[in-house]
Amino acid sequence: MTLTKEIENKIKEVKKADILVGIPSYNNAHTIGHVVRAVQAGLAKYFQGRKSVLVNSDGGSTDGTLEVVRSATIDDFQSIMVSESNQSFFKIAAPYPGVPGKGSAFRTIFEIARALDVKACAVVDSDLRSITPEWVELLLKPVLDGGFDYVAPLYQRHKYDGTITNSIVYPLTRALYGKRVRQPIGGDFGFSNKLARFYLTKDVWQTDVARFGIDIWMTTTAIANGFNICQSFLGAKIHDPKDPGADLSAMLFQVLSTTFDLVETYSDAWSSVKGSEPVQTFGFVYDVGLEPVHVNLDRMIDQFRLGVKELSHLWQAVLSREALKALRKASSNMNDEFRIPEETWVEIVYSFAVASHKNVINREHLLRSLTPLYLGRTASFVIDTSESSAPEVEEKIEVLCKLFEEKKSFLLQHWANKP
Amino acid sequence: MRFLERAVTDPLERFLDKVLIFLPNLLSFIVILLMGIVIAWILKKICARLFRAINLDKMFERTGTSGVLAKGGIADPSSVLLSRVIAWITMLVFVIIAFRALDAPAFAQFLDRFLLYIPQVLVAAFIVVIGYLMGVFFGRAALIASVNAGMRTAGLVGRFVKFTVFILACTMALEQLGIGKDTVLVAFAIVFGGVVLAFALAFGLGGSNAAKSFLEKRMKGEGDNDDISHL
Repeated sequence: MTLTKEIENKIKEVKKADILVGIPSYNNAHTIGHVVRAVQAGLAKYFQGRKSVLVNSDGGSTDGTLEVVRSATIDDFQSIMVSESNQSFFKIAAPYPGVPGKGSAFRTIFEIARALDVKACAVVDSDLRSITPEWVELLLKPVLDGGFDYVAPLYQRHKYDGTITNSIVYPLTRALYGKRVRQPIGGDFGFSNKLARFYLTKDVWQTDVARFGIDIWMTTTAIANGFNICQSFLGAKIHDPKDPGADLSAMLFQVLSTTFDLVETYSDAWSSVKGSEPVQTFGFVYDVGLEPVHVNLDRMIDQFRLGVKELSHLWQAVLSREALKALRKASSNMNDEFRIPEETWVEIVYSFAVASHKNVINREHLLRSLTPLYLGRTASFVIDTSESSAPEVEEKIEVLCKLFEEKKSFLLQHWANKP
Repeated sequence: MRFLERAVTDPLERFLDKVLIFLPNLLSFIVILLMGIVIAWILKKICARLFRAINLDKMFERTGTSGVLAKGGIADPSSVLLSRVIAWITMLVFVIIAFRALDAPAFAQFLDRFLLYIPQVLVAAFIVVIGYLMGVFFGRAALIASVNAGMRTAGLVGRFVKFTVFILACTMALEQLGIGKDTVLVAFAIVFGGVVLAFALAFGLGGSNAAKSFLEKRMKGEGDNDDISHL
């Protein structure tokens, strides 16, 4: 990929840098100013004297996001207890070329990092409301001083937040690759120049990686290729309320499509892994008061029931009779007794991975048909944890992860049986 | 004596001459026919093996074609069926060549017309098969999308899309064959237009309140949405 003329000119101006912080954006004018200021403050406070660049890789915003990025700055450095502003701080704010999506934005950030030969990079979301200058330190220091190549985030989240992470991506990634990276699709990462260059060698930029799949792709690529991994506790992750029009099915499809592609790519790497081990964690862990999350349980269960009624004939080609029976039983239960057991859920996820591997039906149809099952499992989890505290919920997620690890033999056995 | 010669011997000689001319043609006919049988049999065996090797049966199972054939009482695997079809087409080609070798004008005329029609039949059959497969594909896509959108009529939507695509393909196939060209097109337009009008009336008159609240919710982004951030 070639960078745009505008970006190339900026690179020529900066020449070389030590640190790069990237912010992908699309119509985030009302939140990105805070993120830019937090990053600038973090760089000034913790990386004085280092030449640093803030890159805003924009998807063609029409709400003035780029102007906000260009104008946002810390007016009073004394208020953040920094004696003087960091003289070697640069900003590059420009639209990225390529397929619209977060992955393409990241690709441009990797390209700039390579061109400037930076020592450490970090990327943070543009809709964050809870980002503080400390995030910059926590994402970059392990790379600069600790010799790590990849820093995953660790957040305090509401028990019902990040349900794709909690019910599919974290347990699956952990069981497959053996590393307990709690937020593999967190969205805010730190990484080394070596890893950024490695990412650029991969030909994935026309796939779902260019969209929602970028986060899991970065994490899995780093783990499966033996890069040095750690995670940093960043506190609460509070971001802009989600777009009500955002299509869950499309999001789930893109994440799963990339996840299952990676399962395919790295089958040699995961097939011999047994159990899992924790990764080094940085940052001071503390409890945070979180905003309540409203859940429409009835709608989730209704959608699950609709799926069981209309899509069972499709799932017959994917799931075992026992799993289908368990789903029908769950479907016939009253809402307050509704439950999809953990064992059934683990089998469902592994069966869909196998069906995707074996091309049982059209891949997009297969992965999109998982949406009602995912909603059913989420509803079951919400009912199950309605009275639980955050540590109790974490324990339940741990139980699910262990089940994924125990039942990995199911995946291995069915994976090998090519039709 | 001359009478006997003119009445019996001459016609007999002419008949024998004709038989002598016809016999090599008949021999060619039989030889070509036998060649056709052998080549068709060999092709059938080769194709069956090839189709098995490329896992054609699984492919047909995936598209749902095998299921439809099974419902129609055809239990043989698709690879066997297709190799049989190829064998019969080969056989048909040889039968046509054999009849040409017979050099019979009436047959030749009939064959000419038949031959001219065969490509249209094949194109029509191809359109129907592709139309069926597309119907299954789009019907399934519509069904899944409707379920994910929480539409209670998801099954109906899926079936409607599936049959609409298939009927459209059948209409195109009949048009290709030249059967009731305008009638089929007009009938399709009337039926399809009727269905759309019926939906429009049902939604606009019978369900005007539902339509209003649905559109209001869509435009204002209202509704009892949950706040879960899935990622």
